[in-house]
Amino acid sequence: MASRIPPLLDTYLGLPPETSLVLLSGILGSTTNWLVFRYLYSLLSAPSNPVAKEDGVNVVLVSFLRDYTFWKDGAGKLGIDLDVSTRKGKFVFVDGLSGLFYAPQSHAPIRTPGGAPGGRSLSSATLQHLRKGLEDAVTQVQHSASPEQRTVLIVDQPDLLLAASGDGISSQGLRETLLDIREKVHSSIVTLSADEPLISSQATSLEKDHAALGISLAHDAHLIISLRMLDTGAARDVSGVLRVTPGGGIDDSMEVVEERELLYFVAGDGGVRVFERGQ
Amino acid sequence: MSFRKRNAVISSSTSSQTATSRTENAPIPGIRPSPLDGRPTTSTGTASLDNLLAGHAGLPLGTSLLIGEHGTTDFAGTLLRYYAAEGMIQGHQIHVLGLHESWRHSLPGISTDDKKSSSKSETASNDKMKIAWRYESLSSGGGPRDRDAIQRQNSSAAGTTSIFCHSFDLTKRLNPTDVKGQIGFHPSMGMPNLSSPGRDTSSPLKQFIKDIAYKLANSPPSEVHRVIVPGLLSPTSYSSSSSRPEEVLQFLHALRALLRQYSGKLTVIITLPLALYPRATGLTRWMELLCDGVMELIPLQSSAVHAPPPSSKSDSKSEDQIQGLLKIHSLPIFHEKGGGSSETNSAHGDLSFSLSRSKGLVIKPFYLPPVGEDEQEKKKSESSKGSMEF
Repeated sequence: MASRIPPLLDTYLGLPPETSLVLLSGILGSTTNWLVFRYLYSLLSAPSNPVAKEDGVNVVLVSFLRDYTFWKDGAGKLGIDLDVSTRKGKFVFVDGLSGLFYAPQSHAPIRTPGGAPGGRSLSSATLQHLRKGLEDAVTQVQHSASPEQRTVLIVDQPDLLLAASGDGISSQGLRETLLDIREKVHSSIVTLSADEPLISSQATSLEKDHAALGISLAHDAHLIISLRMLDTGAARDVSGVLRVTPGGGIDDSMEVVEERELLYFVAGDGGVRVFERGQ
Repeated sequence: MSFRKRNAVISSSTSSQTATSRTENAPIPGIRPSPLDGRPTTSTGTASLDNLLAGHAGLPLGTSLLIGEHGTTDFAGTLLRYYAAEGMIQGHQIHVLGLHESWRHSLPGISTDDKKSSSKSETASNDKMKIAWRYESLSSGGGPRDRDAIQRQNSSAAGTTSIFCHSFDLTKRLNPTDVKGQIGFHPSMGMPNLSSPGRDTSSPLKQFIKDIAYKLANSPPSEVHRVIVPGLLSPTSYSSSSSRPEEVLQFLHALRALLRQYSGKLTVIITLPLALYPRATGLTRWMELLCDGVMELIPLQSSAVHAPPPSSKSDSKSEDQIQGLLKIHSLPIFHEKGGGSSETNSAHGDLSFSLSRSKGLVIKPFYLPPVGEDEQEKKKSESSKGSMEF
């Protein structure tokens, strides 16, 4: 069981401290999906240790770039059945891909072969809709659980909303909406794209908004895990570099995050190995 | 091992309909399971491109490719023609955005010396392997040997029933008798005089999504669709309003939603002029993030391309002249999982492409010859030719 979480990442992949934000950033070619799978695994798997004080965690996953089938397959490989978790009321998936910018016609009913049972989906790219959709999802998962259970919100690539909705959504507005929803949950995990053109060039409003969102979230975050390709080019046994940095949102009550840089390798079967340079 | 077992379940759940219909000895033409994890794949029409796609030996259904091209050449357009021609022969439905109907007549035809040339090249490559077995993978686009063997088995087994990837001849035109599929052209610019008044309200990109979604929803489950978007945002075929970030990103996002929704019957290839939309801009990066696979074609502006082939070199050599470099930034499925297994490592190395009449676009690993080899080769080749030929 423990081998599914790389030992070196054990300290980071547990339940984040209360009110904290974890920012996962990836770039084209080194996506954060496998990290999110590990978070899902560590949060949703039943505590093997009965002494552990928390009895499971509820998860709300909002994904703007990937569908439920993808998450279900990947989590299934780690031994987490999202269907079962959904039925138990421990997991709610909010689909931000299928209906966000394309409304299926009424006479052609949307066919969701792998649709989440009881899953929700966002059908309009506005902040009001996002806020309502997420609040409903959080209420749903908290309603069916005992009050001492904590809820973790995972938002996969909210930056898409910013990029694809033009002037309708500002980075400030999106950040405030996220902040409002963060108030209602124990802690949040957000994934972002941090490609160089999106963060550093800042020439167009798209790039400026993206950089503003990324940087402000990094300041809010308690922990930042950023993935990138190997600087020296592709290697046979290394997929990329994983960098752990403390964010700007650390207060004294939280334990200090040590800054470090590790290498990771995702094997063909989805297994992940994380190791130090030179190991 | 646990991976394979689970995956069998997964693939049957994601594409249950296609999977069942495939096993009930009614195979969909042009679809075969990936040797890696069994998910259905289809051919891009370019064999060397199929080999690059992270071990799946084809484009997995439900995924998209974005091919960016620098300069003013149209190698990416050639790839699209092969992709369309392959689909036409296999009886797939093809949806093209923004080209004129006459594009249909520029599709390459099936090469007549199909079997001969393929068997010839196979024996030739086998001979090469005996000479330098260490470099055997180079001849097949860098794939490891076992994968190559699987493909050969597949192709030989499929030879009796159906061909996965046909070979085309650029100088020929697709014969209407070979065509089994249908091709539909959709306008990429609103034409107020021609379109019905109801359509004027929505943009051509949104209309295209609507049209495809309608066709997908109303087609039998065994029908495979290919969507071709040539030269996305090129000002010759797109109005300026389409190149607003929200417009094009919403289009790509909706296309991605359709791909996931119909993951058993749809593939997409998009080409993008990188000279107009450089990769250093945020918009291009978002377009790349929204596609499953991203490749970059860098044609070389060398005079050698236009120079006549040197007489000392054999015919096959002159066909192998490098016409450009190919960079792979992400691959379908592979990079969604996180990327980086040794099996597909070759895809990350330097790749070059050349266009040949009979083989189409040939992509293979790029390596610089040892310094001075060129001059020496010229001198040696004639003298050594006699000894090489037994």
